[in-house]
Parts: sequence; structure tokens; C-alpha cells
Amino acid sequence: MINTTFLTSTLAMLQDGHAVDTHAPAVTHAATQIAEVGTGPKWILLIIGLPFLTSILCGIYAMIGNKTKLPAWTVVAGSGIAFLTTLAMYMSFDGTPYTVHAFDWIQVHFSSEGGDKSMIANFSFYIDTLTIYWMLFVTGLATLIALYASEYMSHDLGTSYCRFFGAFGLFVFSMACLVMGDNLLMLYLGWEGVGLCSYLLIGYFYKKPEAVAAAKKAFIVNRIGDLGLALGVYLTFVHFGSLEYAVLFNDPTLLGYIESAKTGDFSAIPRMAQWIPLLFMVGAFGKSAQFPLYVWLPDAMEGPTPVSALIHAATMVTAGVYLIARTYPMFLTSEYALPIVAWVGTITALLSATIAMAQFDIKRIMAYSTVSQLGYMFAGLGVLTPTGGVYHVLTHAFFKALLFLCCGAVMHGFAGQLDLRKLSGLRSVKGWGIVTLGMFIGCINLAGVPFTAGFFSKDTIIAEAFVTPGASMIGWILLFTAGLTAYYTFRVFFRVFTGPVEYHAGEEHHGDDGHDFHPHAPGWAVNSVLLTLTVCSIAASGLYFVGGNKDTHTKHYAQTMVMASTANYESPYSKHAIHAAHDSHDPNAGAGPRGTIDHELSMPIIGGDPHKVMYYVSAVFGVVGILLAALLQGPKGWQGLFIGGRTNAAECRMDPIARMCGPIPKMAENKWYVDEIYHMILVTPLRIISHIFHWIDKLLVDGLVNIFGFLPRLLAWILKPSQSGVLQGYAVSMAGGVTILLLVVFVIILQGGVA
Amino acid sequence: MNPIWTLLLIALPLIGALMVAFGREDRAYGAAMRTMLVTLIPAAVMLWYFDFTLGAVHQGAASVKWIPDLGIKLSIGTDAISLLLIVLTVLLGPIVIAASKTAIKEDRRKYYAWLLVLQAAMVGVFAARDLMLFYICFEFTLLPMFILIRCYGSTNRVAASTKFFLYTFTGSMMTLAGLIYVVYFVAQQTGTWTLDIATLTAIAPRMPVEHQAWVLLAMLAGFAVKVPLFPFHTWLPLAHTEAPTAGSVILAGVLLKLGTYGILRFAIPITPDAFIQYAPALGVLSVIGIIYAGLICWVQEDIKKLVAYSSVSHLGFCVLGLAALNVSGLSGSVLYMLSHGLSTGGLFLMIGFMYERYHTRDMRAVGGLASKMPVWTFFMIFFTMASVGLPGLNGFPSEVLCLISAFQSDASWSAAHEAGAWGTTLGPWFAVFAGTGMVIAAMYLLIMVGKICFGPLREPDDHHAHEELPTDLSRREIWTLIPLAVACLVFGLKPNLLLDAISDPINQTVAAATTSQQPPQPEHHIDQAEDHAMIEPTDTISNPMTEATP
Repeated sequence: MINTTFLTSTLAMLQDGHAVDTHAPAVTHAATQIAEVGTGPKWILLIIGLPFLTSILCGIYAMIGNKTKLPAWTVVAGSGIAFLTTLAMYMSFDGTPYTVHAFDWIQVHFSSEGGDKSMIANFSFYIDTLTIYWMLFVTGLATLIALYASEYMSHDLGTSYCRFFGAFGLFVFSMACLVMGDNLLMLYLGWEGVGLCSYLLIGYFYKKPEAVAAAKKAFIVNRIGDLGLALGVYLTFVHFGSLEYAVLFNDPTLLGYIESAKTGDFSAIPRMAQWIPLLFMVGAFGKSAQFPLYVWLPDAMEGPTPVSALIHAATMVTAGVYLIARTYPMFLTSEYALPIVAWVGTITALLSATIAMAQFDIKRIMAYSTVSQLGYMFAGLGVLTPTGGVYHVLTHAFFKALLFLCCGAVMHGFAGQLDLRKLSGLRSVKGWGIVTLGMFIGCINLAGVPFTAGFFSKDTIIAEAFVTPGASMIGWILLFTAGLTAYYTFRVFFRVFTGPVEYHAGEEHHGDDGHDFHPHAPGWAVNSVLLTLTVCSIAASGLYFVGGNKDTHTKHYAQTMVMASTANYESPYSKHAIHAAHDSHDPNAGAGPRGTIDHELSMPIIGGDPHKVMYYVSAVFGVVGILLAALLQGPKGWQGLFIGGRTNAAECRMDPIARMCGPIPKMAENKWYVDEIYHMILVTPLRIISHIFHWIDKLLVDGLVNIFGFLPRLLAWILKPSQSGVLQGYAVSMAGGVTILLLVVFVIILQGGVA
Repeated sequence: MNPIWTLLLIALPLIGALMVAFGREDRAYGAAMRTMLVTLIPAAVMLWYFDFTLGAVHQGAASVKWIPDLGIKLSIGTDAISLLLIVLTVLLGPIVIAASKTAIKEDRRKYYAWLLVLQAAMVGVFAARDLMLFYICFEFTLLPMFILIRCYGSTNRVAASTKFFLYTFTGSMMTLAGLIYVVYFVAQQTGTWTLDIATLTAIAPRMPVEHQAWVLLAMLAGFAVKVPLFPFHTWLPLAHTEAPTAGSVILAGVLLKLGTYGILRFAIPITPDAFIQYAPALGVLSVIGIIYAGLICWVQEDIKKLVAYSSVSHLGFCVLGLAALNVSGLSGSVLYMLSHGLSTGGLFLMIGFMYERYHTRDMRAVGGLASKMPVWTFFMIFFTMASVGLPGLNGFPSEVLCLISAFQSDASWSAAHEAGAWGTTLGPWFAVFAGTGMVIAAMYLLIMVGKICFGPLREPDDHHAHEELPTDLSRREIWTLIPLAVACLVFGLKPNLLLDAISDPINQTVAAATTSQQPPQPEHHIDQAEDHAMIEPTDTISNPMTEATP
């Protein structure tokens, strides 16, 4: 039941000989042969080794009491060389994935009746286009942000400085292990490693109780997800007998499952195989802060801003997207996994966008926006476009890192001030030009202004939602959320950067009089990083037009990279929609994983290809959002358009509207009380149970033991009178004993026992 | 491998104990330390000369007749598993001595002498190849530990030591009863009295399943208390809390492992059929223990009690692996025995160092130490992470294997493998529920670190600087931690150093346990066995009891 359209989108790895021989001719023009996995050069290990080395060096600096910026330069150099090595790896990549072996890690050999089996998880690295794609922006951004942090963290040179960069280096190392590992246990190692670094860096200001609580919350909430991932990994091994990508994704069993899944026939796939992606998904929700496990990420903003930018916006939180993209073949085999991913992503996107609209802390707004954008990526993966999700990761990494670093510069310059009601007109303050520019570029990307990178990547996702059966609701919600995103993004920009100049020092200002406060403009390191990221954010939109590959029918860079990796999947519905736009008859009707390909479903909006129509629709939503922000939050007489706008930092035209809405803005500001609800339905009951267990242990379990311990004493107390010292008493008991003994012997003899 | 090295490992600490006991009070520490360091040499030699390609063979075997009438010998020998446990024991020796230097100020001779005796007894347990020697050493570990807690513990030490002694002793008596029955049964079967463990484990599985069940129950009575398995764990938090640091480290590092070692060496090989039958129950108890003890940890304010309960929770994984009765489970379990000793031992050392400075274990009274003791905090976080099971550190591989084993042991979940090849004692639900222990462990351990290391500095009101110790860790204290930390890291990155070593004996144990020695018609066989027992052997056995009575 597989038609030819379908076959062009067949996973390239199906070329593996024993998969589906009969279909082999149809897939020969797929880009690469995943099945052939060679071994790569050892210098690739520099990408892993250098960040680890820098981390150790920072530890040594701390021990010898270094008080200079040496740790920062070490990490910048380490990450920089790692980035260059990644570039070299990219340049020398010839399309064949390969592995690089560092050393053996866990190998267990089972000799059982069913033959000898091994669990092999080595410190080895799997290099394909997806790995390269991810590592390029991870190491690149790490270098830039380390440079930024060298200035940003300079107020506590010394042990803390070493501690910060030590954890930073360790993070880059762990992230590299996560992305490059050639088996699921290595991925898990990196997964936990980045969690640890996140914990250490969120809790960097460890004297602040909020920071400590946030760090703890991040690790524990993540651990819930990790449990899912871990169980998924174990189940993968138990079910497929391998953890190594090179073997796992060529496993004939898995390929058979995928084949049935692609026709929507899920009944042929065993239930336990379908559980694996569901478990992975839980892990991804934890790490990538998706509903219901997103609550840790906004709190994580207690960490220093470079950390928020690198770990909690650009790289670590995309690990969930990476996981799903990497194991996309397995996700295809589950009937429910991808629809759940899509819906969870959508709900998260909407929910956190509404929260972001009501926050006043600009860093928190960015945090919720990160959660929301991650939701888009998940929705993209869920509506059968790994390309869309993965492309959005890249564009988002650049513009969100940029936005965070701009917020960080503001926070740094205004003594910790982050309240948008206390900052206004920064673009007119001397020395803040580059920050304003960076912020503006970041905002137009996030808001999805046409021709920005954020616009293209978000569009890909929304368009796919409209062509996938049963997902058009997702498309509408994502469109609406795009409007909200544009609004809250430009709310920040208009409030903080435009209008009359007004600023109040934050809580870190220790002057005697608030009026003497002078903000200090960012220095060269911060400015150069901001400028570089601004250029990158703009350039990222160019990636939508270059890097296509005629041979594999890929249209742009991200798609080329994704299609040559294990995430190689193209939605049959998408293909169909493109075809159907050209000739209105229905040449390739058939089945897909989400049901029959339906001509009507592919044209939900206007009678054209949704991929094209969506450009205009989403542009409208974005622009309307920005205009609303300008109208409600913009300054008075801005560009002569809006009369009677904001005249000071604290008040705007939104305020009376918000008052009219009753308690809703307040509820949104309080994050819809999700934290409180969790506390009420999860934490508190569990804590009560723990207390109950504690008392049970003390009274019941131990009590029983004590009663048993008391029994001999009780017996002794009963028998004490017999130890009277009276001879007759002893004689009587002796006689009694002998009698009983004799009786026992008698009984035994009677039964013919002792010969 | 020459048996002399094993003998030296037992003899040297005993000689050292005599020297300490009859030496000068102020030289007790030095003498004990030197003895412990010297015992490292025979351990190193054993490691060097041990042939790991024959890991299942008991090497360096030696045997001396002791009570020939009863077939009791003094025989020793080590296979890979016991060798590694011995090395762990010997490694912890100098560490606990060093950790006691400033903590123990009075009656040092008695303290160090008993520590050395304890060391000899523990090595004896692992090296014994004769049931009598095993049991004697097994019981003899109680006495030194009892004295250490009784005389050197903190406020509630009398109650703690009494409970520790009586509870474990009562349990071991039942184990003894079970083992005596096994000896009796084997004697009936072979016609000669023997207490040789190899012979016992070879013959005993022929026992009818109903008898096996009773024997298993009797053995578990002792071993489960020792592990300790829920609900027999209540002595442990008390003993741990009251024991001096060295006592806690040894208790967590080695003594608890005697229980799991006993299950591995005796319960599984001697009563395999009953064990398979009762493994699900054992699995349920361990899973309950993992969750129950983990949740109790969460509400502890006493940091030492918290770590003690965490031991109960962690050892649940260890027993779960054993109950799965497959290669990954047993490997994971043995790995867990070794790695738990390192990481939890490390945590107890950390707490001990803190206690010496602040004289409180209450996390409400002391906390936020990161600003005052950064080095201490570093190691605290390190060992916490090892305990949480962070990949790359030692706890992780063992946890993975224990959980995988639970999955594997339900054959219906593995499509790629033939049914029956894995044993069928547990199933995925055991792994799922045990897995929540991962989350709970992260919860209580990180909350502990959050309270004790981070936040604003809290110190007890009457706190004043220790006269001998610096604010942060001293050089000696750091050097006691470094071997443990290095071992955690090395075995986290190269678990195969251990896994390869133990794979032979594990494979053999699993193979022996999963091939039933029960004859095809069990009912018939029981009759036969009884006849056999009633008539035949009485002629052939030289039964010293009957000879002695007239």
C-alpha cells in the first residue's frame, strides 16, 4: 500500500539491504547511506576534550588562588578551538556518517541460552549532519557567551569566577557528549551532565535562597523527565538489543515497524515498542521545559544572565528537540507519541505566551518566551516536520541568546534592574546603541516580522500543522500565539528602549542616594558579542534560501542537514500539498501515519499551497501584534502615529484595559498559579506521606521490632519465680524435662525413625 | 596465587590489634595506621597475581583440617567477587583510621584495636570457603562494631548498639539454623559431613522445593536484616546515627554488603528453585524499601539519619538486581555493593568532618557552609552526585544494570531474545517503580546539599573554632577523601574494570541457578530422598553426635 510519493520520502536508511528489498530502486536517490558507518579521525575528540580540559584548568586556577580573568580566556580559547574543530569536521564531512571511538565505557556480555548478547555503550561519538548542525551553534555560541561572561562576571574575580567558568566548561563538555554520543547511554550521560551544570550555575549565587531553591527545582523536575528517558533507554536495549545509533537505526525489527507505521498500521507494532517514544518524550518535556514540566525554567533565571542565554535559551533546553529528532524513526513507530508531542508543544506555546504577556521582569518574559518557542519546536516535530523543529532551534538559538544578552547588559548596567516599569528610553542613553540595535533585531526575529529568520522557521512549523490531518487546530493556536508573541516581545522593546529617558537603579545599587546612580554602558567584550550575534541573527534568515540540494529535493540548509541524518523524514501530507497546489487533481492519494491523505485537508485556508499562503497569514498576525504593542505600550507621539501614549516608565495605555479585565492579568502575572497547584496536589501530599512513613517507621515497624525484643524479657519475668533457688523446684522441672525428652524419643521410635 | 597473601590480610590486622592494645596510648593511631597501610601490600599483590581470566575459580585456596569429624576445615580462597570486596575493605581501612585521628580522643587503644579486629573479620567473611569459618567471621564482625558504637558513639549509643547487636544476631541465628539443615541434607546425600561451601552449593539444590523455601526463609532472616531490606531496616538509621564516623563508613561500606553477599553466595546457589519462586516477593520488598526509605529521607533533619535511610533505599536496588536473577542483575548488584561503599562511605566521611567542627547533625542548626568551607562543599557535592547516580560517576552503571535486569527478567518484553533466556522473576513494573527511586534520591540529596551547603551561613550559637582543625578541610582530611573520589570517578568511567572481572563468577552463578537440579518427578523424588535419608546414610556417616552421646 505504499505509493511512489511516499517512497521518495522513505527514510534513507531503508536502503539498508535487508530492510525492504523490493522498494530499493525507489529510494536510491536519497542523499546519503546512513547504513554505512565508517570510523572518523581522532582529532574530532578535541571538541569533547578541550572543554573538559578547560573545566579542570579552572579548578586548578581556583586552587592556586588565581584572581585574574585567566579562567575566562581559557574557556573562550577552549570553546573557540572546539568551534573551529567543529567547522573543520563540517568541512571535511563527505556525507557518510562515522563514529569516533574514545574509550570503552560500559560493556556487559550476557551469555544466555538465546546466544551471546552484549550491551555496549562506549565513549564514542557519532557524526552525521544532525550532530554537526547542533555542534556548530553549541560551540559557536559557547565561545561568544564565554567572551561576554568574561566581562559580565568580572565583579567577582577569584574563586567564584573560576567556579563559574569551571562549570561553564563542564557544560560545553556535557552538551558535546549529549549531541555527539553514539549511543543512548552517552546521550544520557550528557543529559545528566548538562543538568548538573545547570544546577551548579543556577545556584551560582548560592547565598540567595531563591537561587538555591531554583537550582534544586530545576534538577528535581528534570529528574522526573530523566526517569522517563532512562526507562526508555533501558526498554530500547531490552527490546531492540542495542543502544548504538549505528546498529539501532538499522535494526531490521525497527525498520519493519516504521514500514507499517508509515501506512498508519500501528496494530502490527508491539505495545512495548510503542512505549519507548512515549518514555523518551517525558524526558524531552523535562529538559526542554514543556508542559507540565516547564515550571523550572522561568525560575532558572536566578542564574547569571550568560547562563540563561547559553543553557536556558540556546543550547541545553533544545536537548529535548535533539532527542526527538535523533530518535525520530522510533517516534514514528508510536501511534500516540507524535500527536502528544504536537499538542503538548502547542499548549505550552500558548500557555507560556499568555504568562509572558503579563510579566514585568524582562528576563522572565524572555524565559517564558523561550518556553513558548520550545513549544513551537515540539509542535513542529509533532506535525511531522523535524525540519521545521530543527530549523527553529537554530534561529531561536541566535536571536534568543541575543535577547538574553541584551537583557543581561541592561541588568548589569542598571544594577540589577529588570522591571520594565522602571526603565524607559534606553536607546537615547549614551553608550547603549549596540544593545538597542541587538534588542531590536532580536525582537523582530522573535515577533516573526517577515523576512527574518524567526519568521521563516516559525512559518514552516505552522504551515505543516495545516497540512497534517487533524492538526489544523494546532495551526490556528500557533498562529494566534504568534500574534501574542509579537505583542509581548515589542512590549519589552517599546517600554524599555523607546520613550522618555527614565531609569531607577536595581537592588544591587548600594549608593547612598538613588539619584546619584549612573548606569555603566557595556564594554568592548559585551558589545562585540552582541554585534556578532546581531549579524548571526540576520544571517540566519539567509539559511532559508541557501544550502538546498537538488539531488535530495531539499529546499534549504536546515532541511538538507536534517534529511541526511537519522531524522530524515518528510511528511507525505506536505508533499501532497505541494503537488496539489500545482495540479488540482489528486494523483497520489494514499495512506500516511496520521490517516489517509485527503485533498481537502491539505487546503484549509485559501485554495493554495498552505506553505505559501502561510507567509501572508502569519505575517499579518505578527504585524498586528506589533501594532497593538505600539498602540498600548508605545511612547507618546512615537513617530507621530499614536497620540497620547506613554509619558513615563511606569504607566502605559494598557493599564486601564488591564484593569477592565478584572483578575485575569493578575492571574497571568502569577503564572496561572501552576506552581501553587503543583504544590497543592503533588508536593504537599507527598510530603505528608513522607511524614506518615516516618512515623510508621518509628512507631509501627520499629515498634514491632521492639515488641519482639521485649518478648524474652517478658518470658524472663514470667519464669523468674521458678529460679527460686529451692532444690525441689529444680528437681521437678528436671523430671518434667526428662519426661518430655523421653516422650519425644518414644514418638520417633514409634514412627520407625532411628534404626 | 599464594594463599599466604590472603592469610596475611587476616593475620596482619590481628597482630596490629595486639600491638595497639598493648602499646602506648599516644602511639595507637600511628600503629593502627601503619598496620592498615601495610595490609594494602598483600591486597595489591593479590590483585596483581589474581588470574581474572579464571575469575570464577577460587584462587589462592588453602585448607587446614580443624574438626575432621564434622568435616570442618579452615579453608580460604577468593574468586573475583570476593577479591574485589576484600580490596574494598582493605582500601577503606586506612581511610577510616585517618578519619578518626582527631575525632577519637579517649581510649584510643581499645578503639583502634577493635577496628583492626573488625578488618580481619570482614576479610575473613569474604575469603572463607568453609561454612564454619564464614559464619564465625560473619558473627564476629558484630562484636567490634558493637563496641565501637557502644563506647564511642554519640548520645543515644547504648540503645543503638543494643538494637544493632540483638537484631542482627537474632537474624543470623536463623541463618545458622538454615545452613545447618543444608549441611545435614548434604551429609545425607553424600554420606560424609562437610562444611565446604563449594560442595554444599553443588549438592544442596537437590533439596525438594518445599525444603528449599524454608531454608531460604531462614537464610534471608539473617541476610535481609543485614542488608537491610524493608521492613527489617530499623536498626540501621539508629546505628548509623550513633556510630562514630569510622563505624558508619565501615557499616555502609562493607558490613551491609555482607547481607547481599550472603544472598549471592548462599541463598541463590543453595536454594535456586525457591529463590526463583520467591524473587518477586523479594523484588516487591526492595521496591517498597527504595520508595519508602527515600521518602523518609526527605523529612529528616538529622543529616546522618538522612544518609542512613538513603542506604536503605540504595540497597533496595542491590537486592532488586539479585532478585532479577540474570546476568545484568547480578552484575549490577555486585557493582552496586562496591560503588555504594565508595560514595556513601564518602558521604559519611563528609558528615563526620562537619560534625567534628560543629558538634551537631541538625540541618536546621548548621548550613550554608559553602562560603566557609568551599573544599568541603566540593567533595560533598561530588559524593552526592555519585550517590544520585550521575553518569560518569560510579553509581550510574550499577543502577542502569539493576533496572535493566528488572525489565529483562520478564521475557515477554524482549522481542529480540528468546523467551526464557532471561529468567522470569520480575518485570517492567519493578523497574518503573524502582526508577522513581532515582527521582526521590535526587530530591532528598539535593535538598540536603541545598540546606547544608548553600543559603546563608548558619552555625550553632555556641560554636567556636576547633582547636586542632582548620575552618575548611585539613590536608589529612582531603587525603582521606581523594582515594574514594578517584575510585568513584575511575569506576564511573571504566566500570568494565569491575564488570569484566566479575563476569565469570556471575555467569556461572546465573547458569547454575537457572538450571534446575530438581528431577522430573518431584513427588516421587521426595519419597526417595526421605528413604535415602532414613536408611542409607546412617551406616555410612560417621556421625559424631551419635558417637558422642552414649
